[in-house]
Amino acid sequence: MAKPAKKLVIVTEKLLLKKIAKIIDEAGATGYTVVDAGGKGSRNVRSSGQPSISDTYSNIKIEVLTETREIALKISDEVAAQFFDNYSGIAYLCDAEVLSAHKFCGPDGC
Amino acid sequence: MDFLSDFMTLFLAKLQSPTLGFLIGGMVVAAVNSRLQIPDAIYKFIVFMLLIKVGLSGGIAIRNANLAEMLLPAVFAMVVGILIVFIGRYTLAKMPNVKTVDAIATAGLFGAVSGSTLAAALTLMETEGIQYEPWAAALYPFMDIPALVTAIVLASVYTSKQYDTADEALSKQESLGSPVKYRRKSKRVKIWPIVKESLQGSALSALLLGLALGILTRPESVYESFFNPLFRGLLSILMLVMGMEATARIGELRKVGQWYALYAAIAPLLHGLIAFGFGMIAHYTTGFSPGGCVILAVIASSSSDISGPPTLRAGIPSANPSAYIGSSTAVGTPVALAIGIPLFIGLAQTLMGS
Repeated sequence: MAKPAKKLVIVTEKLLLKKIAKIIDEAGATGYTVVDAGGKGSRNVRSSGQPSISDTYSNIKIEVLTETREIALKISDEVAAQFFDNYSGIAYLCDAEVLSAHKFCGPDGC
Repeated sequence: MDFLSDFMTLFLAKLQSPTLGFLIGGMVVAAVNSRLQIPDAIYKFIVFMLLIKVGLSGGIAIRNANLAEMLLPAVFAMVVGILIVFIGRYTLAKMPNVKTVDAIATAGLFGAVSGSTLAAALTLMETEGIQYEPWAAALYPFMDIPALVTAIVLASVYTSKQYDTADEALSKQESLGSPVKYRRKSKRVKIWPIVKESLQGSALSALLLGLALGILTRPESVYESFFNPLFRGLLSILMLVMGMEATARIGELRKVGQWYALYAAIAPLLHGLIAFGFGMIAHYTTGFSPGGCVILAVIASSSSDISGPPTLRAGIPSANPSAYIGSSTAVGTPVALAIGIPLFIGLAQTLMGS
């Protein structure tokens, strides 16, 4: 069995991770995944591979699985309102089906 | 004339030190688009090693030093840190095509301290056999934190004024359904989080940890066998990285304009000389050593390269990071290293005859 879910993806500056993690937790998501990211966006090309003087210059991709669209929107609205005026970032939503996860699906499995 | 010729000879001799050789080498290597890369993790580790070594040697020596002597230089360090930001606020920020917040952030970064520049200066001084107070490296936070705090507070004051005028303009032309772009963020700047953030930064943490270990434990054996012998080699690799980084950032500086380049070239020397002047006052009043004056001048002329940028990025989000990181890394740091350090050491030697 698969449980339908929404996957919210936020690509933004590494510097914001702690603050965004807090927003995600407060919105009631069960967890999130973070990976290093690079690429090209509206502000500049950034690569994750180059050595840089500080982490200020690196990007991350945060993925959050939520049960409802509302929770995902709540997170992305909050993040956009707080940070996207001044920091590079993009947020998008995908449909997902969770196949196996103890925490997300509860004790009876998905 | 004697004074000048003495000074020039000393100055030229300093220019041939391995530290500067590696720095210039790194710049050249990056300029010819070589694919040589020093891994990021190594760079971070080297910075940690250098600062913990500086902290340890300071801590070991502090045990039998008189800390009351530290008071005046520490106060001067704070004064200089705050002064630097105000100098930037009333010079760079007034230039045409320079955004005020960018200028304040740049001044804040130039007021903050670079651990690697400090380490390079200490190495060169040991080579020269110049004596300095064991606690002089501990002046670092006294300049670093006030500068960052001042910059962030100034920027917040400025942006909240901007919001106020924007709000007035908006309320005048309140049309139905127009999205209000500026949400009133009349946030009072909290000073403590900025201080905490600086203290938690990798560079300061390593330095303070070293100091604490040096004072409270007996790390002499590991210091003599490991930290001290490795210090110079690591420093030269660090200089290579900084040279490469400087060349890589030059392109960014082109985007933000000539005023930043000009400021970044002049500021390190001006700030250093101001601090050197304060050091001289301390020298004649409390017997602050010439070596100490050099250290005070070097931390004033250095601009932060590791801990400062993230603090500013978080504290002044509307400022453009290319502006301040570009000016600091591409111009400010090389100038402080290649011209500043030899200049201040030469000055100390000629003026006070150490």
